[in-house]
Amino acid sequence: MLVIKDLVKNYGKFKAVDNLSLNIGKGHIYGFVGANGAGKTTTMRIVSGLLKATSGYVEVAGIDIRKNPILFKKKIGYMPDFFGVYDDLKVTEYMDFYSGIYGVAKSDRKAICDQLLELVNLTDKKDFYVDNLSRGMKQRLCLARSLIHNPDLLILDEPASGLDPRARIEMKEVLKGLRDMGKTILISSHILPELAELCTSIGIIEHGKMVVSGTVAEIMAKVSSKKTLRIKVLEDIAVLEKFLKEQPSINSMSVHNDYIDAEFTGENKDMVEILKGAITKGIPIISFNEVDRNLESVFINLITEGGGDKNAS
Amino acid sequence: MQVNPVIEKELKTKMRGWKAPALISIYLGFLLTVIVLYFLFNNQMSYYGQGVFNPRVALNAYNTLAFFQLLLILFITPVLTGGSISSERERQTLDLLLCTDFSTFKIITGKIIVSIAHVMLLITASLPILGLVFLYGGIDLFDILLLFFFYIVVAIMVASFGTFYSTVFKKTIISIVATYLTIFIFSAVTAVALVVFYVLILNDHGTPSYSEFATFLFSNPFFGFGSIIENTTTRHSFFDIFTTLATGDSTEKIIIKSWMINSAFNIAVSSLLIFISARRIKPVK
Ligand SMILES: Nc1ncnc2c1ncn2[C@@H]1O[C@H](COP(=O)(O)OP(=O)(O)O)[C@@H](O)[C@H]1O
Ligand SMILES: [Mg+2]
Repeated sequence: MLVIKDLVKNYGKFKAVDNLSLNIGKGHIYGFVGANGAGKTTTMRIVSGLLKATSGYVEVAGIDIRKNPILFKKKIGYMPDFFGVYDDLKVTEYMDFYSGIYGVAKSDRKAICDQLLELVNLTDKKDFYVDNLSRGMKQRLCLARSLIHNPDLLILDEPASGLDPRARIEMKEVLKGLRDMGKTILISSHILPELAELCTSIGIIEHGKMVVSGTVAEIMAKVSSKKTLRIKVLEDIAVLEKFLKEQPSINSMSVHNDYIDAEFTGENKDMVEILKGAITKGIPIISFNEVDRNLESVFINLITEGGGDKNAS
Repeated sequence: MQVNPVIEKELKTKMRGWKAPALISIYLGFLLTVIVLYFLFNNQMSYYGQGVFNPRVALNAYNTLAFFQLLLILFITPVLTGGSISSERERQTLDLLLCTDFSTFKIITGKIIVSIAHVMLLITASLPILGLVFLYGGIDLFDILLLFFFYIVVAIMVASFGTFYSTVFKKTIISIVATYLTIFIFSAVTAVALVVFYVLILNDHGTPSYSEFATFLFSNPFFGFGSIIENTTTRHSFFDIFTTLATGDSTEKIIIKSWMINSAFNIAVSSLLIFISARRIKPVK
């Protein structure tokens, strides 16, 4: 759906986006993660047709942004990180105005707007002045606006930023709804947990460069050479500790009351060897399993390993 | 064809709130004050004495109104347009327009048409005051229609500058000042240039020819205004200055009148500015 190849954006001598490439398949939710100033907004503004790239190739639904910019923009729904509203419009008037801007026929507008307001959960705020909505509601209204022309690709720049926890949850619910509708979405965040459960693919950007990119499964696999083993024993935990220390595939460990979490790098057969060895030594093992690491801890791991920005949390 | 949504929205929101009615009230209040002062002044100074009808007074009342209305348009239009684009930038709504396939040309023309509509509303609201003078007679309907046409063309020129500057400067107030400065250059500076050239360089103290006037003053709204009020201006009145600009020392009938020259300039400049402004805000060219 979206193809970015070798995208470069220079501000003077400063490279805000540095040879960035990414691919998003139809129906995927791509989480674009990076610290503040990493280049997420710059990339998204280029893909939204608001900024001219220094070089590189951008294509959405088979349309080259440079060959047919107008058709290209029809394919994109963009929600900026910072945006304003016309304070003297009502919610329905706001939607009607942007429907006009997107060229929706007058007769179709009401149905489309009602449906979208329903989707973003603002139906009961229809006759409010936009200015009187809360920040979270404005954000959801802006999201509804970006969906008016039924775009192939949605670009959401930190859609949950600046929201209180409750509004954040509401926004997330709406985004899950979009995911379930099969929308293709590029969504950015500087906070990882925000994206972890929503996305199918993830890209981590640092100083304008893509550090890691792929489906959630691929990224998990990339770090799966490094696992945490949790070994629970009936007694003699000190013996287990001594044994594990001798194993070359165990890097470090944390010893608890009746179990040890050991950092393991190696393949599955190495794991088998450890288990075999422990049992032959007569260590009374109750359980031996790999701790499920959630996406978040994987990211933190990746980022800190990459020597990345401290702001990335 | 659907209505430009920018026009639709702005007409709706501009008329809301207190600003539009306030502007109309001030506008009419100002014109009424001018005309009342004018009549007070003239009744006392009248050659014919009090209570006697003097058609010259009515004609000059019309000219006075026409003149002050032109001044008002020159003052108000920059305020109406100086924020066309910069206010969208300030409110962070411009990107939401630019990321759509809606053309920047329509954004610019939409903004200009809305401000012209606003000016037309003011002019229309002043019709009753003008009608007062019209009743005295001596004024053709054609004169009034021509005057309105001229106002609108001038307003389009000023609005185009206001909007253009609004794409250049981040701050609305700077766009407004730049527009005033442009109007000042077009009117006062061209006039001074003419005087300097004619009196100081040519050392000629007679009345310049029409073509000399036109060469210097083609951008000057008051030069155009001269031929707009030539039918309603009597010799040796204050407004004779303007009609002299519009005829020069010529005694023959002028075919290409000053309002035509000035309006042609205004239309050409406006078209160019609209084109440039639309290009300027287009994010990816
Ligand atoms: N118009 C601009 N001129 C110069 N530098 C800019 C401009 N816009 C952004 N930058 C710089 O580019 C970098 C990337 O910014 P941005 O894309 O906004 O990052 P993010 O969205 O990931 O926080 C930042 O270092 C920022 O300072
Ligand atoms: Mg950003």
